[in-house]
Amino acid sequence: MTMFHSMNISSSALTAQRLRMDVISSNMANAESTRGKLVNGEWQPYKRKMVVMQPREAAFSHVLKSAMSGVPSAGNGVKVTRIAEDDAPFKLVFDPEHPDANEEGYVQMPNVDPLKEMVDLISTTRSYEANVTVLNSSKAMLMKALEIGK
Amino acid sequence: MPITNITANLPAGPAAGFRQIGTEPITQAPSGFADMLKSAIADVNQKQNQSDSATAALAQGKPIDLHEVMIASQKATITLQAALEIRNKAVEAYQEIMRMQV
Repeated sequence: MTMFHSMNISSSALTAQRLRMDVISSNMANAESTRGKLVNGEWQPYKRKMVVMQPREAAFSHVLKSAMSGVPSAGNGVKVTRIAEDDAPFKLVFDPEHPDANEEGYVQMPNVDPLKEMVDLISTTRSYEANVTVLNSSKAMLMKALEIGK
Repeated sequence: MPITNITANLPAGPAAGFRQIGTEPITQAPSGFADMLKSAIADVNQKQNQSDSATAALAQGKPIDLHEVMIASQKATITLQAALEIRNKAVEAYQEIMRMQV
């Protein structure tokens, strides 16, 4: 239904930001995980993850309808297409007692930077808030429309 | 449009008519006032049902986002408000006609 189109778009954005939040939580929780993946019998530390977002494609029927009526489409919101891994080098920490230390006594730590994650966290929170504001404005607009003629 | 047409198009029993509205989607474009009213009520009903099922899913601990429940309830509120406004207008118009001196 077209009446709630903007609400559906905002809803998709909220879902995407929630997923981003989940990924940040995972990064923060695994900031010290030295055993993320087993590669050739060797433990590799956890790799920082990040979300990749892209505009959501409209269904074919919508594209056809918008092309035939000449009314441009406002898009269909956003979606997370994949969760990519950060290929930045791991941090080397000198800790000979650690079970995953190599011969020189160095341990490979995840490439997660808690400071960067905090910045992402704030960005996600603000983005979520912004989308809630859009949603509330959309509702306020519809409720105002109901007041026409009162 | 003659007033008799409205009643002629409505189903026989109000309860049977409402159940029918809730289950089957209305596919053809609304033609008369009765059809339009039917599709509007069906939409209100559908939104209320969606809101109910979303709330139930959240309460049962199913994987559903909180914002989706809230948005479903907001949509239900707005459609219900719109339906109320239309009802008020219809009743107002009817009463205006009934007050006419003959």
